[in-house]
Amino acid sequence: MGDSAYSFSLTTFSRTGKLLQIEYALNAVANGRTALGIAATDGVVIATDKKFASSLVEGEGVQKVERITKGSGFVYSGVGPDYRVLVRKGRKSAQAYYREYNETKPVGQLVKSTASVMQEYTQSGGVRPFGVSLLVAGIDSDGSPRLFQVDPSGAYFGWKATAIGKNYVNAKNFLEKRYQEDMELEDAIHTALLTLREGFEGEMNGTNIEVGVVSKSDGVFRLLTPEQIQDYLDEAN
Amino acid sequence: MSEFTNPDIGLDSTTPTGGFNFENVHRNSLIESQLQKATSKNNITPLATKTGTTIVGLVYKNGIVLGADTRSTNDTTVADKNCEKIHYIAPNIYCCGAGTAADTEKTTELISSQMELLRMNTGDGQSRVVTACTMLKRMLFRYQGYVSAALVLGGCDVNGPHLYQIYPHGSTGKLPFTTMGSGSLAAMAVFEEGFKDDLEEEEAVELVKRAILAGIFNDLGSGSNCDTTVIRLDGTVVHGRNCIMPNEVKPLRDSVKRSDVLNMRKGTTAVLKSTFKPRKSGFGVTLADVTVTPMET
Amino acid sequence: MSILEYNGAAIIGMSGKNCVAIASDNRLGISYQTVAMDFQKIFQMNDSLMVGLAGLASDVQTLDQLLRFRMNLYELREERQMTPKVFTNLLSTMLYEKRFGPYFCEPVIAGLDEAGKPFLSTMDLIGAQAAAKDFVVAGTCDGNLYGMCETLYKPDMEEEELFETIAQALLASVDRDALSGWGGVVHVITEKGIVSRELKGRQD
Repeated sequence: MGDSAYSFSLTTFSRTGKLLQIEYALNAVANGRTALGIAATDGVVIATDKKFASSLVEGEGVQKVERITKGSGFVYSGVGPDYRVLVRKGRKSAQAYYREYNETKPVGQLVKSTASVMQEYTQSGGVRPFGVSLLVAGIDSDGSPRLFQVDPSGAYFGWKATAIGKNYVNAKNFLEKRYQEDMELEDAIHTALLTLREGFEGEMNGTNIEVGVVSKSDGVFRLLTPEQIQDYLDEAN
Repeated sequence: MSEFTNPDIGLDSTTPTGGFNFENVHRNSLIESQLQKATSKNNITPLATKTGTTIVGLVYKNGIVLGADTRSTNDTTVADKNCEKIHYIAPNIYCCGAGTAADTEKTTELISSQMELLRMNTGDGQSRVVTACTMLKRMLFRYQGYVSAALVLGGCDVNGPHLYQIYPHGSTGKLPFTTMGSGSLAAMAVFEEGFKDDLEEEEAVELVKRAILAGIFNDLGSGSNCDTTVIRLDGTVVHGRNCIMPNEVKPLRDSVKRSDVLNMRKGTTAVLKSTFKPRKSGFGVTLADVTVTPMET
Repeated sequence: MSILEYNGAAIIGMSGKNCVAIASDNRLGISYQTVAMDFQKIFQMNDSLMVGLAGLASDVQTLDQLLRFRMNLYELREERQMTPKVFTNLLSTMLYEKRFGPYFCEPVIAGLDEAGKPFLSTMDLIGAQAAAKDFVVAGTCDGNLYGMCETLYKPDMEEEELFETIAQALLASVDRDALSGWGGVVHVITEKGIVSRELKGRQD
């Protein structure tokens, strides 16, 4: 908490018991581009679209799916710059964990520490909540594939499949219909792309979407290349 | 960017804050002076494990070869007969360490972690050897030689093969071949005699092995086996862990018939009391042990 | 006399077949004066992990407390037990953090890993690790201990023989060291649990 008497938290309860700033942050998330994830039996996939407001935008340098540890990655919906802060903090905490235990930070711990950062930003002076929800994909310490969502309030949940951002209600309905308990990673990638296509305006291709995958076999989180994404899209057609 | 965010958020008392902790220094100096008075002896400060060490590196036609022995010592006792002195820095960079064992180990671990962060935060490219060298020398210079790590850093990046030597005080040299540690003189004698520019890989590895063997046999601080690591320009790395084991004792031991006197029979030792503590069932709490209520959202 | 020798200690860790043993003497002294014969130097960290701490008695106890704190926190946070490998790294990190004002302590770690295989490691007072397959030693008579272990050790010993071997290695070593002895204790860690035995030793 800040020392100054004037640096009180912006997120103060309203008389009805709501934290309005957090609700506004969730609005910022709901306006963001759709991101989704599916936990399959042998891995996890997270994906998002990367469409820009204008065709003049140079999209090469924009990166929305980020690797945090060897075996886990983030994707977000909401305010991009806020996301970068969380990515940096996540990576730094993962490296600190590795230096202490000589073991990669388990995805569950990564979620917990990231969520507590986000929570502190709802209660500290002189700051505002993060305008992002995160999807975190990884393989847990017991070897099972895990997908988590972390919200601006600091709340986090585990999911079999979920979506955040614009159209998330439709996307979640779609996922509920398509999700199967015995789904394998390859199916999950196809389902993820199909779900993304539901709310996508225009033609999807290797450059206007991003896909991150972690498979149980090697436990390494990888970004699919535009060529690989294109292959998956072509297979679906 | 993160200059504007509070760095303390998300940290707690057990999160390593980085850097050294000096809270015991005052106490330790009191203990030392008390003990010195009481025993009227001067050598009361405990010795840390050193890697007496022969470490070498050279540039060859197609990359870098690093080499090291595998002995670590505590005073004159061999503390580890087969330790690893070629440390990972990045996929294309490795570093041999001589000096205080903990310092070489932890310094290279720290820099390797910082290099990985740098790679991730700058777009997953390739680490440069000069970056690793600069980070290492800055760290060592900051501690004015008290972090006693003498390093041979080698790797290949977009600018070609690079070999650096780094002294504990932070000075560095970029060389075609180098040796460090207590066996450096023996190893350098071999290099001076055999080094040529643009050696073939096989010749280069042979020369490195000979240099390490010179250290193993002529320097008492070095011993046991020979490790090598080849880092090629194309990014491939070949580890020759224990590629020569000239001091294997197993065949010798196996050839000696073990006296039956050395096999301890049940009841040899006088036991006053014996207790058994069974392992608690399973590991940690399982879902069966708790009631799960869905979180209110 | 080094600070590490002020109170006296002898600790051995030794591996067997699907079991591992750790042993220590019982003496607490102030230089040549013995003040206690029941001083604990081996501490249980979890079901299949024990650590022996040789060195300055106050640091032995301080480190035990710090380690217990960190272990409990880890188990609460991660809902799993720490493996011996992770424990070794944690202790090494803790010791190296105090590189320039160290705890005067040399640890010996013995335990069974996730697969139930023996794990042994040791480190110096600033956390330089050394792992071993056969045995590790620490204390004021490490020369004696090395000698006894090199002589008596053989691979893949069963629980009972491992106990006798480590016990004899310890007792013979401390009898030639003025600073350690006064009986000893041996813990044998197996997948079923931990057998602890108090040894009869010379009281001089």
